[in-house]
Amino acid sequence: MKRFGIFMLLLAFMLGFSSMAAAKTLKIGTLSPLTGPYAQDGTDILQGVKTAVAVFEKAGGIPGYDKIEVVPGDSACDGGKATMAANKLINSGVAGVVGAYCSSATIPASVPLNQANIVQITPASTHTDVTGRGFKQIFRMPPRDDVQAWSTVKFLEDGLKIKTLALIDDRQTYTVGLTENITEFAKEKNKIKIVALEHITPGDKDFTAVLTKLKRINPDVIYMGVYQPEGSLMVRQAKALGLKSKLLSEDAVFHPKFLEVGGKAAEGTYLTFAKAPETKERKEFEKTYKNMWKAKTVGSYGYYAYDAGMILLETIKKAGTKTNKMVDTLRNTTWSGVTGEIKFDYKGDRKLAHVIWIVKDGKFVPYWDPLTESYF
Amino acid sequence: MDTASFIIQQLINALFLGSIFALIALGYTMVYGIIELINFAHGELFTAGAFIGIIVLAALQKTGFVESHFVITLILVFGMAMAYVAVLGVAIEHVAYKPLRRASRLAAILSALGMSIFLSNGMMLSQGVSDRAYPSILGIEGFSILDARITYGQVFIIVLSLLLMVALQMFVNWTKLGKAMRATAQNQTMARMLGIDIDKTIRVTFMIGPALGAAAGVMVGLYYGSVRFDMGFIYMIKAFAAAILGGIGSIPGAVLGGMIIGGVEVLWSAFLPSEWKDVTTFVVLILVLYLRPSGILGEHVSETRV
Amino acid sequence: MPSSNVKKFIVYSLFMGILILPMVGLPSTGFEITRALLVWGVFVGILAFWLLGKSIRGSDAFQSAAGGLAPFRSRLFDNFTKVPTKIYLCLLLFALAAYPQVANNYMVDVGITCLIYVVLGLGLDIVVGLAGLLDLGYIAFYAVGAYTYSLLNLHFGLSFWSCLPIGIVLGAVCGCIIGYPTLRMRGDYLAIVTMGFGEIIRLVLNNWDKLTKGPNGLLGMAKPAIGYPSFAEGGVKWVSYSLKSLHSLYYLILLIAVLTVIGVGRLNNSRIGRAWIAIREDEVAAELSGVPTTWLKLLAYAMGAAFASVAGAFFASKLSYTNPNFFIFMESCIVLCIVVLGGVGSIPGIVLAGIVLIAVPEVSRELQNYRMLVFGLAMAVMMVLRPEGLIPATRHKRELHETEGETYGE
Repeated sequence: MKRFGIFMLLLAFMLGFSSMAAAKTLKIGTLSPLTGPYAQDGTDILQGVKTAVAVFEKAGGIPGYDKIEVVPGDSACDGGKATMAANKLINSGVAGVVGAYCSSATIPASVPLNQANIVQITPASTHTDVTGRGFKQIFRMPPRDDVQAWSTVKFLEDGLKIKTLALIDDRQTYTVGLTENITEFAKEKNKIKIVALEHITPGDKDFTAVLTKLKRINPDVIYMGVYQPEGSLMVRQAKALGLKSKLLSEDAVFHPKFLEVGGKAAEGTYLTFAKAPETKERKEFEKTYKNMWKAKTVGSYGYYAYDAGMILLETIKKAGTKTNKMVDTLRNTTWSGVTGEIKFDYKGDRKLAHVIWIVKDGKFVPYWDPLTESYF
Repeated sequence: MDTASFIIQQLINALFLGSIFALIALGYTMVYGIIELINFAHGELFTAGAFIGIIVLAALQKTGFVESHFVITLILVFGMAMAYVAVLGVAIEHVAYKPLRRASRLAAILSALGMSIFLSNGMMLSQGVSDRAYPSILGIEGFSILDARITYGQVFIIVLSLLLMVALQMFVNWTKLGKAMRATAQNQTMARMLGIDIDKTIRVTFMIGPALGAAAGVMVGLYYGSVRFDMGFIYMIKAFAAAILGGIGSIPGAVLGGMIIGGVEVLWSAFLPSEWKDVTTFVVLILVLYLRPSGILGEHVSETRV
Repeated sequence: MPSSNVKKFIVYSLFMGILILPMVGLPSTGFEITRALLVWGVFVGILAFWLLGKSIRGSDAFQSAAGGLAPFRSRLFDNFTKVPTKIYLCLLLFALAAYPQVANNYMVDVGITCLIYVVLGLGLDIVVGLAGLLDLGYIAFYAVGAYTYSLLNLHFGLSFWSCLPIGIVLGAVCGCIIGYPTLRMRGDYLAIVTMGFGEIIRLVLNNWDKLTKGPNGLLGMAKPAIGYPSFAEGGVKWVSYSLKSLHSLYYLILLIAVLTVIGVGRLNNSRIGRAWIAIREDEVAAELSGVPTTWLKLLAYAMGAAFASVAGAFFASKLSYTNPNFFIFMESCIVLCIVVLGGVGSIPGIVLAGIVLIAVPEVSRELQNYRMLVFGLAMAVMMVLRPEGLIPATRHKRELHETEGETYGE
């Protein structure tokens, strides 16, 4: 009874305050690592969502709300901190959440969000367990690990038509998910033989031992399941050691920094990354983003975060803030965003396949499309 | 690639990695030798050196100085980084270690650890969280021995680090200051009685050790091509293992230890499952400490010192 | 201000200028002189303030003023101590118990995290504070607890409560395994070896795919449940109630924390505790006085590890997810910070430090980026100026301010 009394009192206070101050503020939350080693990508995500809000407000906003506020949550790529941040967002009364980044933070954070029945769209986590645990209100922007692995294997089988493949990963949640899935897909058709699986330590700088080992095996392609800092160093060392194998990597390496650090050694590296449609909206977004944040480039996750923010706001505009209606709208609508067409399946995953890019003259250039099996 | 060139290549890899570890380990061994304190901040001093190197190099590159005066550029980059880090080393000693020279051991270690965390986060806030690209002036051209490749950059770095090690050994053995350092390391009270300025000697140690670390930082940046605020941690652990392995306090020991740690890392990855590489390094470290706490070339270590 | 201080000020400021300007003023984006000057200004300001304070404190006027205030201060202190400690404790406990009733979910979650770290801090205090053994790999035992519960629950469906004793035993065994080779080491070597052990355990968890699923982490552990008898349908039936809500989890960790405080407090004043302190003070003398140092050192590791293991099991069940990434070296550092800043060997200090260090940066978001910076600085400054911590343990304060005893550099 006492608890109820205090609760009512607090409620009364809150209602009083909220009716006095900003009567019509819509809050949406973000979850991303704003501190720690992944803070760069985390900041990209926050900025992407803020850009979406700015663009949306400029276009007229949502009827019935004066203002849209972004509540940032720092997941720090850590389970404990991520749930705290998620609870913080729940308490501040957000209508939806964009986040988190690391799968190891997204999975724990999705539990309280699910209990509070708040829509969550992750702009980065690709682990298969993020969706498909019976949670109806979670959606994902980037393709799942197994989808990316599928594109990779498809490219190796039908694009490059190679026989032998060596895998390197850095034993983190994301990269291990990729190499495991690639191994499975490669077994299916048995066209490619996996000749080595090597591991490196994130944060190391010298990978020559492992690369020399692979030079001796001389596979047709070496798959680098690593993050950008290690990937950039690896291509340099592979060049210095005179490796003949072709190098293939994934979207965590797809970053302007890779070109900067890798330099000439990065030339000819294949990467899997989502297709970037050459649309007017995308160019406009890039311009707005760069102006707004005084940035030279847009981080890879900025695009996904922007799209996630946009469709979240569109949904609220269409369906209000009732979660069930929002989920239905999100699921039954085909959206168009700066990362292409967005259509979620029953799990909350998007039908989006990676395409293969290549580094050419210091730029990322689209190279091969696994869906059409053709070159760009 | 035949087995012979494979082994040669792996040995070159080990030699290169080992000489960097050795150079960092020298800083540990000197500081530990003289005040018996693990300078936890040494890894961060190494990173700071790399950052100063990149700042100087980027500035020189803008003016087009690098192409015309390549050697002077290198001297400037290494010199500035080493000078800066020497000043930083002295400052840290003065602020965080000197007041604790007579305090309990625990307090001194914690203060060192605190400095390390402070510096690494300071660099994160000032220089950014993502890695920074080093202007690549060394290139990847090189020559081959059988099928094994070695780049000119690697040769340059191995030679330079050997030169620095020899210079240090000569300094410690032949100069007055070096002798004062050895005396202080052996018996501080006695050295003081003989008229050696202990404070000055410790300050000099805290200039030379970190300066060598800074040189290693610039080398890592120049060769590998990127620096990040937290890269000091891994190097710190490995270099410390090297210093202990060789016998802490001994300069040839640190060099030998560095080479062994580099060798263990590379050869383990070369022949055995590479995911256990780091576990192996730690196991080697623990085994050495357990079986022979004085290290390979170390002098006797009394009960109170270990 | 005496001239020596003026000279000091100028020299130090210049030094700091040399150090700060290039590092802060030249980030990758370009030349940011204002930022560098700002940081420099802050440092110079602190320096000036400190030197001024020092010279004022040294002056005669201040000394006499302080002397005049002393009776008031002691009277105030007397008034506080007149009330028995038990009343304060009851008030504190009441406040902690009432906290979730007034706080929102987020604050309760922060409270849970604070209490987890309090338990960890107290556990580490047994090793560092009582036995004087520096442990930089403490978070490994937290991982052991978390993984023990996760694996047993997922594979055998064991409940939280039956996993607790298993986790405690496993944690203690791991503590002994780490403790054994380090028995002969002290100080710096011990620090490095424990750090190595901590990393080894994390790497093993990360690499042992078949058992721990490696970096994928373990998912879907049950929340702790409590059983209570129900008389609803005539007969007596045990009904299990799963502690799903944050509130119930808060009360569970509060219970664990209170038990830990009582346990560590009792240990502190027991024969074992005194023997540990004897070892910390002078191992040789303790051994000669008949203290079984080997066993007691191992016991310290085992006890410390057991508390961490309990906290770990709770953490895993709360998240229903564990991942080797959660147990990095930085976490060990944070726990050590809690012990050091709170005051080595001081229970109230550690409780306070645990709450402050976790809650303050969590509540004020702007501070998050600066958290570790301040941690590090605070650690060094604390060791130099106030090695006994925020709330010093009475016994420890005496020792730390003595100039004799073990010193280095001799």
